[in-house]
Amino acid sequence: MLIVREMKLADVIHHDYNLVPVINRFDISLGFGDGTIREICEERDVNVEFFLSILNTFHDVQYFPKDYLKSFPVSLIINYLRKAHSYYSDEKIPEIKLLISKLIRLSGKNNKTLNLISNFFNDYCNEFAAHLLREETIVYPYVLSLEKALAEKNDNGLVDMELMKYSITTYEADHEDVEEKLFDMKSLMIKYLPLESSDNLMFEEISYSLLRELFVLEKELSEHSRIEDLILVPKVEGMEKHYKSGR
Amino acid sequence: MGALKNIILVENNFLLRSGIEGLILELPGLLLKEVFDGKEKNLYRKLINKKPDVIIIDPNALGHNFISIISKLQEEAGIMLIGLLGSDCPENISSRFKNHLPLEGNKHLLLQKLREACGKDAVYPTNKKTQADSRLLSAREIDILREVVKGLTNQDIADNLFLSIHTVMTHRKNISRKLSIKTVSGLMVYALMNNIVDINEMG
Repeated sequence: MLIVREMKLADVIHHDYNLVPVINRFDISLGFGDGTIREICEERDVNVEFFLSILNTFHDVQYFPKDYLKSFPVSLIINYLRKAHSYYSDEKIPEIKLLISKLIRLSGKNNKTLNLISNFFNDYCNEFAAHLLREETIVYPYVLSLEKALAEKNDNGLVDMELMKYSITTYEADHEDVEEKLFDMKSLMIKYLPLESSDNLMFEEISYSLLRELFVLEKELSEHSRIEDLILVPKVEGMEKHYKSGR
Repeated sequence: MGALKNIILVENNFLLRSGIEGLILELPGLLLKEVFDGKEKNLYRKLINKKPDVIIIDPNALGHNFISIISKLQEEAGIMLIGLLGSDCPENISSRFKNHLPLEGNKHLLLQKLREACGKDAVYPTNKKTQADSRLLSAREIDILREVVKGLTNQDIADNLFLSIHTVMTHRKNISRKLSIKTVSGLMVYALMNNIVDINEMG
């Protein structure tokens, strides 16, 4: 389904409820009423084009947001990506950690396998946090200063030589290892998590929630890197070309 | 069935792409990792970086880059190339592929071809013996695993165990395939869990 501006947002969510956290990042919460996407965006001063390209990229793996690429400022993308980052690190990861600690409590402290899995996930979290930090402290500031410099260059022809040295392709998302670790975590749980608990029913219930959260996080992250690869990187490449040519 | 095979598809035709995705979904043991449309920059690098077991290629998707890309891929050991070919496909193209998926084939035939090309064991273990073989680590693989989780490089492991580096890499690939665990830290958890190594041996 291609999501377009005259659709009712409620219908879109009926069709794909995975989009709820995505609209939240635009400060749209459930209970948004009967409005179309266009109406809801106008009410809240959200850039419709950008909103649509994010929803579609997230919703449909095949979607390629060519037409919208040039129509919104790159700072919007960065803003969105930052919000997504804090959603992962402030909500999803703590949720998963909470589930793991519940399992540990249920099975007693001596469940060796569970402790190992828990440590493994903590390592994963540290690595993931480092990855996010790299983007937030290096990549995003670079992109934002490029946007600013581009505006200045148009005004007075001045070029920042420092910026000329960098390129977004150097930073092109390196998600591979982080993704693989998440996959391993699922493997370890599916195959080797031992049932050692005073309350087996509860233990099974929580392991299921935990596994589901891992699958959800994995899917979220792959959509997220698709947004970086399909929207951010081409957009910045265009800006670089513009900036570095014809001074 | 310990062996999850990673597949990459290179196809620019939407209908074909959806069809192949549907076939792959029907075979447990096969995992479609990524789809390329064939026009990507540095496609060869991108394909290799995904570390696929199998690449399904529609020659039409590669256009005039076909020969240059396929020649490089043919030199990659351990990657099975499957051509998605019509019956009118010229010999000089079809001969590049060890395995074919015939465009005109019915579903049954296509599934069978796909299963054969990916290795039957990946999809249906044929008998009890191969089932155990493809699941359990061999004694040698356990030796290698023990070294891997110490954080040693392939070269160090080769030196310690008097093996060639190529053999070490093959063992490592098989270990990851059997366990569905790809990272060193994941393997470490597995090794500790199964008392293959002791926590005190770890650095």
